[in-house]
Amino acid sequence: MKHRERTIRRWFTGMGFLLPSLLGFCAFTLVPLALSFAMAFTDWDIMRHNQFRHEPLHFTGLENFIRLFGDPQFWRDLGNTLFLMLGLPFAMAGSLAAALLLTRVSHRRSALRPALVIATLVLVASGLVLLWGGMAELGVWCLFGTLTASVLLAGVLTGGTLYRTLFYLPSFTSGVATYVLWKKLYNPHSGPINFGLTPLLDRLAAAVRTSPGVFTYGLPVLCAGLAVGLVAWDVRRLRSRWSGSEAGLAAVVVGAVTLAVPLGLLLHWQGFSLLVTGSVVAVGAGVCIVTTVRRPRPWGRVRSAGEGAGIEIALALLLLPVLLMLAAGIQVGPALPALAANGLEPPDWLGSYGWAKPALMMMALWAAIGSNNMILYLAGLGSISPELYEAADMDGASPSQRFWHITWPQLAPVTFFIAVMGIINGMQGGFEVARSMTAGGPAGATTTLSYYIFSEGFETGRLGYASAIAWVLFALVFIFSLLNFRFGNRDAND
Amino acid sequence: MSETKSISSKPPGAARGLGLHGLLTLLSLGMIAPFVWMVLTSLKSLPEVGDAAWLPKHFLWGNYPEVFSVIPFLRFMANSVVIAGWVTLLQVFTSALAAFSFSRLQWPGRDRVFFLYLGTMMLPGLVMVIPNFQLMVRFGLVDSYLGLVLPAAFGAFGTFLLRQFMLGIPRSLDEAAEIDGAGKWRIFWDVVLPLSRPGLVTLAIFTFMGNFQSFFWPLVMMKTVDKFPLPVGLLFFDFEHGQATHLLMAAVTMSVVPLIVIFAVLQKQLIRGIQVGGVKG
Repeated sequence: MKHRERTIRRWFTGMGFLLPSLLGFCAFTLVPLALSFAMAFTDWDIMRHNQFRHEPLHFTGLENFIRLFGDPQFWRDLGNTLFLMLGLPFAMAGSLAAALLLTRVSHRRSALRPALVIATLVLVASGLVLLWGGMAELGVWCLFGTLTASVLLAGVLTGGTLYRTLFYLPSFTSGVATYVLWKKLYNPHSGPINFGLTPLLDRLAAAVRTSPGVFTYGLPVLCAGLAVGLVAWDVRRLRSRWSGSEAGLAAVVVGAVTLAVPLGLLLHWQGFSLLVTGSVVAVGAGVCIVTTVRRPRPWGRVRSAGEGAGIEIALALLLLPVLLMLAAGIQVGPALPALAANGLEPPDWLGSYGWAKPALMMMALWAAIGSNNMILYLAGLGSISPELYEAADMDGASPSQRFWHITWPQLAPVTFFIAVMGIINGMQGGFEVARSMTAGGPAGATTTLSYYIFSEGFETGRLGYASAIAWVLFALVFIFSLLNFRFGNRDAND
Repeated sequence: MSETKSISSKPPGAARGLGLHGLLTLLSLGMIAPFVWMVLTSLKSLPEVGDAAWLPKHFLWGNYPEVFSVIPFLRFMANSVVIAGWVTLLQVFTSALAAFSFSRLQWPGRDRVFFLYLGTMMLPGLVMVIPNFQLMVRFGLVDSYLGLVLPAAFGAFGTFLLRQFMLGIPRSLDEAAEIDGAGKWRIFWDVVLPLSRPGLVTLAIFTFMGNFQSFFWPLVMMKTVDKFPLPVGLLFFDFEHGQATHLLMAAVTMSVVPLIVIFAVLQKQLIRGIQVGGVKG
């Protein structure tokens, strides 16, 4: 009896501490969750069921979901969401590159003197110009000279910390304020981006007019060559490493799907011909499978199937947009001379159907390079054992071998984690940006799934339908959460 | 030191070092260029906004006070600070209590409840938004500060983060306190809480920043302009007076600069927080 009493007392103590949190958790997470699930199976519409009108609410079973799968807007918004997520590999590559550069610079003092001398010279020179010339034409150059010199100076003196800070700023300040700022930057008539692009495009148009052949044939050939080169590079990797599939079948499938499905959908939506779509998907899937099969390596080997899958997802995600851009290059080349005849105009960015998404992606890239991902990569780089590099040096490894055989596989858990989190966030994202920059337009080009949920739930008021979309979104996210749970490295997770 | 050396084997030549610094400087400038344009444009006059030149002919510092006469900017800012502050306070306090219960106390059913918490961390917030709003309508909390603070103040993430942190504090300390006759509350308040300070600080910073910038929930909840938090207020400004680019940029500058200051001051804690496990967003 005494034992039972104690158990009950312990339960009350534990609950006592938990209670404040648990109450809020029930009220704002569990109850809404149950409600949302129930709502997804009803025809709740704010126009018919509200404080003033009480039409009976019907349970409609799976009707919302069935309607959803036939809803062209759902598929369009899912496509938009996936398209915007294609920026992720660039962001990851950027973060990794930034982290690598920052790791190299820290603590290195021998670069101090020349950098200091140059920075001081620039500072003095811009100061002098400012004194003599005033703020007129040269003013902005002085400003940038001074800025450059100050950054360089502070960067050298702080051993790289300043660079890290400046890289991190866009991500830290990211929010409605910076979106509004970028909306102004993208303004086709008064924004600095198009002011900067116009002279460049004029020069390009002139070049196309003088030698159209270079662009009609040269560009496609170059792009095709690069694509073939990319594949060849992987075939070479395969040949040197072929021996059983350590990374496992799961990795092959996961990587192939990661690459092929979005690529195929994307090319289809962008109106590429079936031939181009098919061949690019085939090449992509081939590359993916080829990269997957590798044999054990002496250093930095793949430790598990999960890690293999992680590497494959990351690699496939990285290859995907590159191949896509090459495909675009093949298509654009022949059309260029006709376009350039009247001079090339800079794009309308947020106002044009084709450019709105890339514009948002470029802004996202700006914010993502120096984000938490870079910090995670920095931590990952710091934890790689120096002995691995020493072993590689003794084998006479080249810098690229050091990277591909040690750094990249050692960072695989971090890369995997960043990729999965990026996908999870990307699936749910896009609302804030679209709401503050484009209102989902033009013609729905930037309406993501989260935006669709917002407009169904809070604008048209079809609460039941909006809940159904939310649960489908949850199902999509859940797949990737499971992937993370199953294959993710605990070190990177916890 | 050694790890730096090992990642690049070449001896650190002065030219290479300089090239590296030059490259990083250029990249940094690219990162802050939008901010430079923002500040310079905020000092222009309206006709000058459409010019290609970045520099204004005269620095019009008067644009800044003018913002206050067009929109209640300070009010927006104060709203944001107060809302995010309350959310942070509640979040840190309830999460710490819950984390203590999950990490330090033994009670039947504890692990099952914790898994329930964990499970909801995977849920997209979007799933909860629609019913939450209907609940707010029922409770009459739409367009109130309370309606903004409460749903954001209890999260599984904070509990999870602090639990991980508290698991790292040696148990022998509370056993010693228990022998000295301290109750559970004393152990929580005098032993575990002070030792979890880095975790609490991390959670506080992330919660505050996240809620200072939050947009979706205030956008659907708030109807009165005077109650808008800053992000919604900025968007409102853009919709109403978007053509006044110079004033808009002044407002944006005033919204971004506090963030930059916070970041500069708290950089170390932030970066440690991200690395330790505050991996969010």
